[in-house]
Amino acid sequence: MSALSRYRVPVGLLVLVVALRPVVAHQWLLGFGQIATSMLIWMLFVAAFNLLFGFTGLLSFGHAMFFGFGMYGVAIAVARLDLPFVVGAVVGVAFAAAFGNLLGRLIVEKGEIYFAMLTLAVGEAVYFVVNRNPLGLTGGSNGISQNALPPWVETFRGQKSVVLPFAEVEWYWVVAVVFLLCMLALWQLLRSPFGRSLVAVRENEGLARAMGMNVDRYKIASFTASGALASIAGVLLEINTQGASIETFGVLTSGDAVLMAVLGGVNYFFGPVAGVFVWQFTAEYLSSFRMLNLPTTELALVSVDVSGVLQHWRFLLGALFVAVVLLSPKDGVWGALRDGVRVAAARFREVRR
Amino acid sequence: MTVLGPNESILDPREAALGTEGLVRRFGEVTAVDDVTLAVPSGELRAVIGPNGAGKTTLFNVVTGLLSPTAGRVWFEGTDVTDAPQYERPHAGLARSFQSNELFTEESVLENVRVVVQTAEYGPFGLDLFRDAASVGRERAVEILDRVGLDAAHDTLAKNLPHGDQRRLGIAMALATDPDVLLLDEPTSGMSPGATTKTAALVEDIHDSLGLTVLLIEHDMDVVLSISDRVTVLDQGRAIATGPPEEIRTDDDVQEAYLGGIREEL
Repeated sequence: MSALSRYRVPVGLLVLVVALRPVVAHQWLLGFGQIATSMLIWMLFVAAFNLLFGFTGLLSFGHAMFFGFGMYGVAIAVARLDLPFVVGAVVGVAFAAAFGNLLGRLIVEKGEIYFAMLTLAVGEAVYFVVNRNPLGLTGGSNGISQNALPPWVETFRGQKSVVLPFAEVEWYWVVAVVFLLCMLALWQLLRSPFGRSLVAVRENEGLARAMGMNVDRYKIASFTASGALASIAGVLLEINTQGASIETFGVLTSGDAVLMAVLGGVNYFFGPVAGVFVWQFTAEYLSSFRMLNLPTTELALVSVDVSGVLQHWRFLLGALFVAVVLLSPKDGVWGALRDGVRVAAARFREVRR
Repeated sequence: MTVLGPNESILDPREAALGTEGLVRRFGEVTAVDDVTLAVPSGELRAVIGPNGAGKTTLFNVVTGLLSPTAGRVWFEGTDVTDAPQYERPHAGLARSFQSNELFTEESVLENVRVVVQTAEYGPFGLDLFRDAASVGRERAVEILDRVGLDAAHDTLAKNLPHGDQRRLGIAMALATDPDVLLLDEPTSGMSPGATTKTAALVEDIHDSLGLTVLLIEHDMDVVLSISDRVTVLDQGRAIATGPPEEIRTDDDVQEAYLGGIREEL
């Protein structure tokens, strides 16, 4: 195996963080690059979710809670308790891991449907508790928005940057580095003996058990790792949105993770990346689209005001989702793309011959 | 040697490589395994035969821990393993193949076997996060695939293998657990006569050259008669006779149980 094909995932991730912002900011696409930061954070979150769903075969309908634990960990520490950011981040991630581990121990042996239902129920219970504003910590339905940024984050005209002792770094690049480190860790986990065992559990649980795997322990470990990774995305989201919002804990957030993973293709490492990109790009593109000028904007023969239709972008996204699932149910956008490239490459080789 | 009737065993089940004592498994009103006492001595190739629904697969499922028994004990190499979790039994040396083709379908043939070798190496739970799994257990997996004749199919996805090769892959995976006692559930089912002969030779080879104790559920009587040391006949959940194949063939109780079913084949 050549070095390039062996390390194509790290190379792909590097290309992604470098190219994402300029690509979405291109005038033919969105025309602005801020959304790239939130895309990376969501990509990490959905990839963490997909460790459990796509690579272990467990569908969690309550994964938003781990996202929220990381977010509220930082927000509570910084805004409420006057503690350093690092304390909040570490406690948030550790809490998410411990919560995932304990919850896993309780529900992992119950079977697929029950796992999905129980994670949904626990997610709702967590939402309820956060909404009650226990000890005045979570801010209830208002969330936490005052003084929720650590002092080393500076905001200037909506652009964030991080002040380090030696330099000032754009917020996007801080997110990119954390994203890269976490995704590389995930990649290594998936190709390690542990990760291969998770895939065996996904493929055929009964056989895995008969061949000597303690299936429940693998599932619990996967749930723990997935929760911890998702909460790191939550830590980033707290700074990105300058605080913590109760919607993050909501069932819609959990549902979006499922939809984005399926849209992208759950069996692929880059599936969640593709899913988040397509989803968020489409949402942004559709909601900023006003006039449909045909054939071009410069030479508009026909102009149609489509803003009335396109404000229902969620409906259109739903239609896109249905189309992708009908066309390539298991493979999603990424799988279709891969197959397309493969077929094209084969044709090209034939033509040259 | 003579034919032994129900609940007579060659030796104390507690001293056998694999033994059961008064094993019972009920599904509601149905008693699938009914008071079965068996003792398979170390190194024996034992065939388990019987009409459809006699409880052969259920016996395997109870012995390997997929199902728990309603009553009775399972002994493995002198240890009572009745209550041991299913996933611990392959590590003790008790492995099985399945009647249906149970595989890691979306994985390559090599990966199917490699992940089992890896499991045998790490135990029931391994948290090794730092190695590249592709190199862990690869050599042994290749060796096992050579033995079962799948050396040309390493990179084929398991789901794309022809039926007969899928059966052989199942045997390869059971071998990858490095067993002392191997339970094979109809390894030749659905195979052409040519493939059946080849697979029978493979089972014999595993038994002879690896020195494994083999328990074999088999419908093809030619295979049973040609390779087994002893045969146990199950009928309606009961082990009605155990003995050398030639004597089982002519035993009156066995003839009775099959009542023209196998008599003609014999």
